[in-house]
Amino acid sequence: MMLDVSHRTFYRYTSPVVQSQHLIHLTPRSTARQIVKHHSLIIEPAPATRYDGIDAFGNHIAILDIEVPHKEFVLHARTSVETLALSPLDLAATTPWDRLDSALAPVGGIVPIDVVQYRCVSRLTTPSLGIAAYAARSFTPGRGVIEAALDLTLRIYDEFTFDSTATDVSTPIHDVFAHRRGVCQDFAHFALACCRAMRVPARYVSGYILTRPPPGQPRLQGADASHAWLSVWSPQTGWFDLDPTNGIAVSDEHVMVACGRDFDDVSPISGMLLGGGDHDVSVGVDVVPA
Amino acid sequence: MSSTIPGPDLLNAYRQSQTGGYDELLDRDGTPRRHWLPFLSELGVLSDADRAQRAMRLDRRVREIGIAYDVFADPTQNSQQWQLDLVPIIFSAAEWHWLEAALVQRAELFDAVLNDLYGEQQLLRDGHLPPELVFSDSAYLRACQGVLPQAGGLRFYAADLARGADGQWRVIDNHAETLAGAGFALANRMVHTHVAGDLFNASNAVRLAAYFQSLQSALTAHSGRDNARIALLTPGAHHEDYFSHAYMARYLGYLLVEGADLRTRGGQVFLKTLEGLKEIDLIVRCVDGRASDPLELDPAGYDGPSGLVRTCRKSPKLVVNAIGSALVQNRGLGPFLPQLARHLLGEDLKLEDAPRWWLGDTASRRHVDERFDHLVIRKAQEGTGRPGQAALGQDTRSMSEAERDLLKREIALHGARLVAEEKIGFSRSPVYANGSLTPQPFAVRLFVTRTATGYAAMPGGLAMTIDPDRAVALSAPDGHTRDVWVLSDAEQGHHVSLWRPALETARVQRSQRVIQSRVADDLFWLGRYCERADWTMRVLRSSLRRVAEDNGPDAGLPAARKCLEVLLTDEESTAVDKARIAALDFDALCNRLIRGGRASRTLERTLQRVYKVAYLARDRLSLEAFQTLSRFRPGDPWAVALSTAKPGRVLDLLDEGLASISAFNGLMHENMTRNFGWSILDMGRRLERAYNLAEAMLELFIPVPDAENEQSSLMLLLELADSFITYRSRYRLDPMLALVLDLLLLDETNPRSLSYQLAAFSRQLDTLPEGKQGVSLTDDRRLILALLTSIRLADVERIADEPKGETLEALLREQIQLLPQLSDAVTRHYFNLTDDALHRAHMRSENAP
Repeated sequence: MMLDVSHRTFYRYTSPVVQSQHLIHLTPRSTARQIVKHHSLIIEPAPATRYDGIDAFGNHIAILDIEVPHKEFVLHARTSVETLALSPLDLAATTPWDRLDSALAPVGGIVPIDVVQYRCVSRLTTPSLGIAAYAARSFTPGRGVIEAALDLTLRIYDEFTFDSTATDVSTPIHDVFAHRRGVCQDFAHFALACCRAMRVPARYVSGYILTRPPPGQPRLQGADASHAWLSVWSPQTGWFDLDPTNGIAVSDEHVMVACGRDFDDVSPISGMLLGGGDHDVSVGVDVVPA
Repeated sequence: MSSTIPGPDLLNAYRQSQTGGYDELLDRDGTPRRHWLPFLSELGVLSDADRAQRAMRLDRRVREIGIAYDVFADPTQNSQQWQLDLVPIIFSAAEWHWLEAALVQRAELFDAVLNDLYGEQQLLRDGHLPPELVFSDSAYLRACQGVLPQAGGLRFYAADLARGADGQWRVIDNHAETLAGAGFALANRMVHTHVAGDLFNASNAVRLAAYFQSLQSALTAHSGRDNARIALLTPGAHHEDYFSHAYMARYLGYLLVEGADLRTRGGQVFLKTLEGLKEIDLIVRCVDGRASDPLELDPAGYDGPSGLVRTCRKSPKLVVNAIGSALVQNRGLGPFLPQLARHLLGEDLKLEDAPRWWLGDTASRRHVDERFDHLVIRKAQEGTGRPGQAALGQDTRSMSEAERDLLKREIALHGARLVAEEKIGFSRSPVYANGSLTPQPFAVRLFVTRTATGYAAMPGGLAMTIDPDRAVALSAPDGHTRDVWVLSDAEQGHHVSLWRPALETARVQRSQRVIQSRVADDLFWLGRYCERADWTMRVLRSSLRRVAEDNGPDAGLPAARKCLEVLLTDEESTAVDKARIAALDFDALCNRLIRGGRASRTLERTLQRVYKVAYLARDRLSLEAFQTLSRFRPGDPWAVALSTAKPGRVLDLLDEGLASISAFNGLMHENMTRNFGWSILDMGRRLERAYNLAEAMLELFIPVPDAENEQSSLMLLLELADSFITYRSRYRLDPMLALVLDLLLLDETNPRSLSYQLAAFSRQLDTLPEGKQGVSLTDDRRLILALLTSIRLADVERIADEPKGETLEALLREQIQLLPQLSDAVTRHYFNLTDDALHRAHMRSENAP
């Protein structure tokens, strides 16, 4: 499917920002599942210096230095991307999650460290014993890894409530687990903690999703938001994306921007500001079929 | 030989407290080991009294130079007292040769491991190291992937060693993050030779200066510039290692900077100074790797400047140790080191880690399960911290069944971040206590640096007494330390210390003269707080004297009350607050101003601030100048007396306090170089004095007092402004308003007048750079011009004649209003440390299903 994505972020500060540095993940990467056809990024005020590079996870990053005093900061990323639909798979036939060591720690062979790194816990995805017990109900002995992960995804979808007032950007997963409430980012982190408790390689994915207006109503401009889900690895499928917020396996309506161990690694925009007082952010995301 | 062995009593007592195991001093037959003999014979020559006196002097000297003294800690909770024993740990030359070679080999090994893990990661791909050991370690910083291998190698390495009961040395912890407290070792040596240099010389032990010289020249070479501007980056005075950082910076002649002093731009890092941005050539990093850059590393807490990793990507040699180096401190690496040494260096590992198991591995977990009772469970990565501060770990023997079960489940879940360790026992070495020697278990930290000719070990170190039942690491909560001596076969050269730089390095030293904006800010406030303390004490003294001298019920007390009361208010005080203060009786009022309440200008609070900013700016003050302020340290007997004293005793204490401030001002005036720092300090003092004077005048003369009160108010004002004698010698009259106003407002030759303060401020401001923005004056210049002009244009005779004093009131109110603005303007212009610290902004994903 061809999708056009527009992601506009608008910061307004109560007093001037004297100088700022930003690290941004706004440029989608091309993968086996998506081809980025066109991408542009508008930054205002224009940065004095800009570094573009690839981070340790293979994502596009940019580091911006803004040296003119400003009270408004705008980032507008636009992308045209072709996504590929998921081909049918026998999920139960993936390697059992408790037998991944033969693929991930081959005796005498080359260790696939790009996968193994995602078995390890990170700051935002450290499981407790309780979370490990929750995970164990999906990861039963001998079950195919993707089948088990999909089961986990569906349980989170059924048992957790979407509630953007219940958590904020710093809420730990233990609170999300205790109250069974949160937003997509929280569900992704919780699912990752579950996978990592079982030493199943899983990574955090940030991106966008195509949304459809309720029947009979027009699509509202800028009504979407950026989205987050997780991706689980099996020898048969490679990285396989699951969306616990929507209770589905990811097909061609999701656009991936970046992946990492957790949100810390892929935060769309983070920055260090001198000055600025309080700030107020508005974000407008539009995903439309081209 | 036996005739040189000291007082049999010393050794007899020592022999009696022997408990088996390896002893550093005595061999198995109870004979002193040869390399201890010179020390023992010197010690034996001393009398009991002399030994005791030296031990006390060591103690006092440690306090004086402030080793490990946390200045801002609660004085009632002095948990950690740094102690230095009279008896050192002594290494024979032969043993040291072996140890040095072993430490150098380890530094080379860790260097190679780091280069691989931050480079190609062949060790992980080929199965030499379990990837989960590395990837689970929060000290592994992905942002530094590919950057660290270009950094020119590991510069500083330190190892904590213990000798087991079997006589074998083992490494109990590795430090590759920062200098690891080398400053403590250096300070201990300085103190010890100050008190017992004769013992040191008699032993023919090796001095440290040559080591630090080669460290210094290697860093200069590394920076690529002869007169490099080198900065030591510290988390700041709140950090437990701050003493060590400040001591090293001073000794090596480097700038001591904090993250907020620095600014990155492209491939360069700059220091914010009064003269603008100055490029830094090399950063000696004493902040944790993870906290080095809030932009790309840990968003939760930071001590480095934003953008440092990006800067290192362009200039990889800028920071030493390179960011990310703490990875090799991971205790889980221990069991893999022998194999890594063969693989990477083609050598057998000379010195192994104490036996430990990484619990991320199923086979190790099973093994540990079987021997659970004999092991201690600890974090694999703990961070370097100050020597002696390592956490104790969980001792499985002291646990209930439920706790053990819980721990086993935690290990199953989070084993990749844990290790199990065997207790190894520790050898014993003498400490001097209560007139005799007793054997105590110890561990030692030894330091390695990279020099022009490869790695070299510091011929010394830091030893600590430890509790072998609880510790596997260098955990010494009581802070009992020992110097470490390495004996030499060769004759020792002349004493060289870096405190007196040779001529060729004098140029390097001069970089110390750059004034960071942050230090300038501290000096400005030091000037302000000293003057505020001086004024407050004068007001209290004058008031209490009026009570004590008892010249009748009204002899100036109302005037004194006004000056006391106004010091208890600030711009946020409400009418209710003021009424409450006005209702206090005189003693309560004085008490409140000395120590009580929420008021921001109480004497106690001001004095604490004096001490704090003086401490922060300590490397700009002479030792004597700093010591004059030592009685203001919270917990000092004087400070304690002041906060508990009865009114009668307070007068004496105030005299002593005022004498300290005078002594400080005198020393600064006589000894401080007239550089920007001096200007800033003086500006702070002038501004505060002008403000206090204007405020007191407004209180005393507006509304205009009746004749009797006017007289007592004038007397008080002359007294507070220390101008009574000047007035008398000039006019030989009772005080008259017009004459007093002339003397205290307008007379620019009277160093206590308002106009003198403003003129002096203006002159100092003119010595600072950048007076103009384009063609217009900067805010600070504009404000001082307005203030000074307004006073200079005043007509005192007319002012003094006005029945309601409108002009005087307007004049003083203008001063009181604009002086704080002037302070802010100077701060904004030169210090750039407004409340707007850097902060991190984030947003999150919230897409609804």
